[in-house]
Amino acid sequence: MNITKEKIGEFLVLTLYGRVDTNNFNELEQAIGQVFEADEKKIVLNCSGLNYISSSGLRIFLTALKKVNAMHGTLHLCSMQPVIKEIFDISGFSTIFQIFDTQKEALE
Amino acid sequence: MKEVFEIENKIEALSILAGKIENLAEKWELPVPLTMNLNLVLEEAVSNVIFYAFNDHQKHLIQISLALENKILTVEIVDDGIPFDPLSQKLPDITLPVEERPIGGLGILLILKIMDQVSYSRQNNQNRLTLVKNI
Repeated sequence: MNITKEKIGEFLVLTLYGRVDTNNFNELEQAIGQVFEADEKKIVLNCSGLNYISSSGLRIFLTALKKVNAMHGTLHLCSMQPVIKEIFDISGFSTIFQIFDTQKEALE
Repeated sequence: MKEVFEIENKIEALSILAGKIENLAEKWELPVPLTMNLNLVLEEAVSNVIFYAFNDHQKHLIQISLALENKILTVEIVDDGIPFDPLSQKLPDITLPVEERPIGGLGILLILKIMDQVSYSRQNNQNRLTLVKNI
């Protein structure tokens, strides 16, 4: 997978590309870990390029949300492909995450 | 139509399996969303086997067979590890608020939600997980 970072206003936007699976979930874990270390509290994960996620990846998302909530921060997800949104729906994640159609909305 | 693969009991083999599934999906002309879901349930089921069914640090082969007949896709995963029934795992309660939401158990939840029938049996010292999807 590839991850790009961009600071837009108060938000740090991470854009994810490719797969998050059992083989490479630690790359996402590390990238998010660095965001917390940098004390960023407003985060957007732009999922436009994410085309596959398994439970290993979902666990990273859930852990990040728990952490953001504990420090009263904000974690917004946006631009999910329908196949990924479906996985979030059946995992019960769509009810706990704030998911926006576009990055613009996620930044508001 | 039927295909059988064998992969080693190591996590890196999951990428090889994903490649084989992509090729098979092309050959069988499976739609892209179905292929993604098929890859997903296989990753979840096979990674469980790799993590929990072996405790001897030896190389084992895991057999994965896929059959498509009359719009019914049947996947079987067979290994010679210790008895491991993934269906005995506690499913996470997905109605809980974030703070109480458990981190584990999502893999088996995904398998159960994506597939139409899931069954486990232990025969001849082998674990056999059968997954069926009507397409």
